[in-house]
Amino acid sequence: MALPMDDPSHDTSVPITRRTSEPVENSGNGLFTSMIERFGDEIYRFACQLAGNGTDADDLYQETLLKAFRAFDRLAADANHRAWLYKICSNTFISDRRKHGRVAPMNDELAETLTASSPDPASALDARDLLREVERFVDALPPKQRVALVLRKHHEYGYADIAGILNSSEAAARANVHEALMKLRGAFAHRMEV
Amino acid sequence: MRRHDLSHRTIGPNGVSKDFDAVTFPDSTLDRLMTIPDSSASTTTTGTIPSNLAGHAANPEVDPCDVAEAAMPDLVFGDLAPTDEEWVRDHTIICNYCANVLSSLEHVCSSLDECADAAEQRPASRRPASSLCLGVPEARYGFMETPVGDVLIATSEDGVVEVSYLDNTDTYDSLRDLERRGYLVYQRQNHIRPVIDQLSEYFAHERRHFDLPVDLGGVSEFTRSVLTATNQIPYGNVRTYGDVAGEIGKPRASRAVGNALGRNPIPVIIPCHRVILSSGAMGWYTGGPEIKRALLGIEGIHYGVRQRAAQQSLGIER
Repeated sequence: MALPMDDPSHDTSVPITRRTSEPVENSGNGLFTSMIERFGDEIYRFACQLAGNGTDADDLYQETLLKAFRAFDRLAADANHRAWLYKICSNTFISDRRKHGRVAPMNDELAETLTASSPDPASALDARDLLREVERFVDALPPKQRVALVLRKHHEYGYADIAGILNSSEAAARANVHEALMKLRGAFAHRMEV
Repeated sequence: MRRHDLSHRTIGPNGVSKDFDAVTFPDSTLDRLMTIPDSSASTTTTGTIPSNLAGHAANPEVDPCDVAEAAMPDLVFGDLAPTDEEWVRDHTIICNYCANVLSSLEHVCSSLDECADAAEQRPASRRPASSLCLGVPEARYGFMETPVGDVLIATSEDGVVEVSYLDNTDTYDSLRDLERRGYLVYQRQNHIRPVIDQLSEYFAHERRHFDLPVDLGGVSEFTRSVLTATNQIPYGNVRTYGDVAGEIGKPRASRAVGNALGRNPIPVIIPCHRVILSSGAMGWYTGGPEIKRALLGIEGIHYGVRQRAAQQSLGIER
């Protein structure tokens, strides 16, 4: 019977070598579970900043995890896990927004509404309403600009890293952030100037 | 004073400003994602941050306000060099328009911070569990020293999922295999206590049968049937690969049975060491022949180191 087995007469010629057992704390490196333990909170925060309300953020986070889980084996061993997760989350958000049709034109309408709603600076909305308006405006930004702004503003990513995440040039990454910020300024300047 | 014109702004077909896609790569796929560079290697943003603002503004063809306004987002993010920041600040002292732009930009930034703070308070501790997100079970693992070397043990809600000999497998490889089988892996030594207890009793000759459910998730159907049949071989008995093949109704599949047993994720507990060659020779074993010899020895079946055990003396049940 030809089985894939050692000839027992050679038993002793196969030395049992003890491979170095990694210390337990290092053994997690390169594991999907460890990656999520390490960066999950940060990515969830990012998803909340992008998708706003709770269930949308949960969906975005879940979708990010699913994509990462399926693709994890194809990830190079020395890849930057953190940036990889940001990239998956950003792309998922952007393509979702494109598919579900929340598009740029809303900006201008919204901007007009905002301007029209408070023609008199004296009747400016109180601070909480203003924040809500800012949130709405940010939510209506083109998704790439929004991702770029959130990364630059709240995750301390530089333009080279943002460019890596958005598959764009550094100049385009910076332009996205600046455009978003200038739009916000344009929409809210009349309420924010002291 | 005229508004600054964003010269790099692109206009979409319907006249609406759109994302800056002009210089981006084609649609990203997951394959593209694999090649993301290490960000720590490229943290400098200076390539696109304007510098020598005073010099640019001194150019008579240029409106200094344009220079100042274009640099303001960089200023509020702290990206400008100190001398350039100083120039913009100085400019806003003499230019009321630019002072207003900067002031409202700073307000926008602090509003964004407040929005982020508010958003953060909402979900802080609500991150959904990974196993729920992915719809996959968790495996809790820990370690044990045994007379046949250190082993990694993992259990799920449903039973024991893994026992691996660390003398010839890296911890990482074992855990990654578990993830490939569809488990998320968490180190929880206390979860594997019952397994450790029963294994200790087995190695001390105090236990002949494991009272532990096994979880063969992620194992192929054929391998599962082989392992299930193998699990029926009583303590202190041996079968041949052909016996097991016959047991699962595939009498000609003894080679495949050998391969399947080689993939037994739960050795010792699923006693693949009790399966030997039809010649009576011990045959191959995942953890190495020394371990097979030791386990069989515990159960009263003794193989010499170099000697072929006499089949007759084993009383192999055919």
